[in-house]
Amino acid sequence: MKLTELFDKGEFVITSEVGPVKGCLRSSNGDEPPRCAREAEMVRECVHAINVTDNQSAVMRLGSLAASVKLRGKGFEPIYQMTCRDRNRIALQSDLLGACSLGIDNVLCLTGDYTSLGDHKAAKSVFDIDSVQLLKIAKGLNEGHDMMGNTLTKSTDLALGAVVNPNFEPLDLQLLKMEKKIEAGAQFFQTQAVYDPAVFEKMVKKTEGFGVPIQYGIVVIKSPQMGRFMNENVSGITVPDRIIEEMSSVSKEDRKKRATEITTELVREIAPMAQGVHFMPLGWSDIVPTVVDAIKGTV
Amino acid sequence: MIGTIPKPFEEIMDAVAGYEKLAVIGCDGCAKVCMTGGSDQVEEMAEKLRNQGKNVVLAVTPDRTCYVSKTRTALDPHMDELKQAEAVVILGCGGAAQITRKVTEDYELTIPVKIGLDSVGHMDTLVMGELALEQCQECGECILNETGGICPVTKCAKSLLNGPCGGAQNGKCEVDSERDCAWILIYNRMTALGESDKLRRFMDAKDYSKMAKPRTLNIKERRVA
Ligand code: SF4
Ligand code: SF4
Repeated sequence: MKLTELFDKGEFVITSEVGPVKGCLRSSNGDEPPRCAREAEMVRECVHAINVTDNQSAVMRLGSLAASVKLRGKGFEPIYQMTCRDRNRIALQSDLLGACSLGIDNVLCLTGDYTSLGDHKAAKSVFDIDSVQLLKIAKGLNEGHDMMGNTLTKSTDLALGAVVNPNFEPLDLQLLKMEKKIEAGAQFFQTQAVYDPAVFEKMVKKTEGFGVPIQYGIVVIKSPQMGRFMNENVSGITVPDRIIEEMSSVSKEDRKKRATEITTELVREIAPMAQGVHFMPLGWSDIVPTVVDAIKGTV
Repeated sequence: MIGTIPKPFEEIMDAVAGYEKLAVIGCDGCAKVCMTGGSDQVEEMAEKLRNQGKNVVLAVTPDRTCYVSKTRTALDPHMDELKQAEAVVILGCGGAAQITRKVTEDYELTIPVKIGLDSVGHMDTLVMGELALEQCQECGECILNETGGICPVTKCAKSLLNGPCGGAQNGKCEVDSERDCAWILIYNRMTALGESDKLRRFMDAKDYSKMAKPRTLNIKERRVA
């Protein structure tokens, strides 16, 4: 099902992210299910759809399309993430046709992390097109033509998502790009992780007239080290000292509990300003049901 | 200019292994500015090779080694020495090495032309003798008029045309925290010029066929193919 149908019905849309494994998924008897499948199971009952990342952080893994199709086969609704880093315009269009042919209904179009951040630093970065152009191309495929105007034998029918980073300074520049994405074809947005309600509110106020649903994005902070690491190494995210201190103040065994509480508080405070929430639990998918349960009634 | 940096000397020694008599040819154009292949560096290289037991029969620095005519002007008076050389070491860009190879072929000399530098791009000199920057990749269809005179094709790590990725932090690029995000520079410049609204215009996917290699420039007809 397309996410846009849920937004249209006024549904508060909940999604969670899984990262495909670094390995092949062909199962032999006795193999335990891969981590991404297990994580998806953990959130099965509490989310509408599952984002499947595309060689996230430029680390080579199982492809997003293959993993999305596998999850769909198990009854999940995948959101196929597609970046511009590794494929040129021919491959991207071809994969969009492939995705629709294989039953995918939702695509999230992104620029992609730069190659040098990943585990194949010597790879040639492609970036033939950017995320705005990708959205426009994907919209064209939905309308029955490729980017050169050639007619397709059958159009795709994909809901098109995009991302926006409310932490970006200057915000107006980020929102200018957001508007271009909407004009190009973006139908819903997921945000980069935000930990400061004021930052989110500022973006919400400025985008009021944009007319697209936005999901509040949150990365679960699992340890004080991770919070510090994100501040130093993950661009575009700021984890407040307050959260890092709170995570330092509890014992290792209690971290998951505390992370659940912190995530719940943030979602409770920020998500009501949005039309949905998008969890990036980075391996702690098991806390998502607890958070979703705890925010029932507030969103 | 074309930026160059020296190859490790061991790599050069590997490349000339088995050749005793060598010619060292530099370039008094870009390689001189980069302090990698001007006449001083050519002398230094000749000395280093001699210290390794090589017989350097010729050390010469054409004005511009990427011009056939200038390379010939420099080499013509030294045909005897060049004929003795078993290999040539070029201290110039990849173009200089290939022009020199062509010139030796024109002289009907079949000798290996080895390169002693790594070419690292079209560079603009900010501080003479200190610092140069890559700012243009010769994309064949310049969009500087649309972007406040700052090139996103080159200065944005991802060559984005419709605005920044989400990764910039404190104005710096996600790829290198020492480097300004090109899109923030463009935005600030356009805002200062009162033209930031122009950035709302959708920029179409670039026509990379204009960059398809190798291009030939027909200078007379002012046309590239
Ligand atoms: S757009 Fe950039 S790469 Fe292309 S010609 Fe202009 S400055 Fe050079
Ligand atoms: S941070 Fe700025 S310069 Fe760096 S890749 Fe993103 S948009 Fe380009």
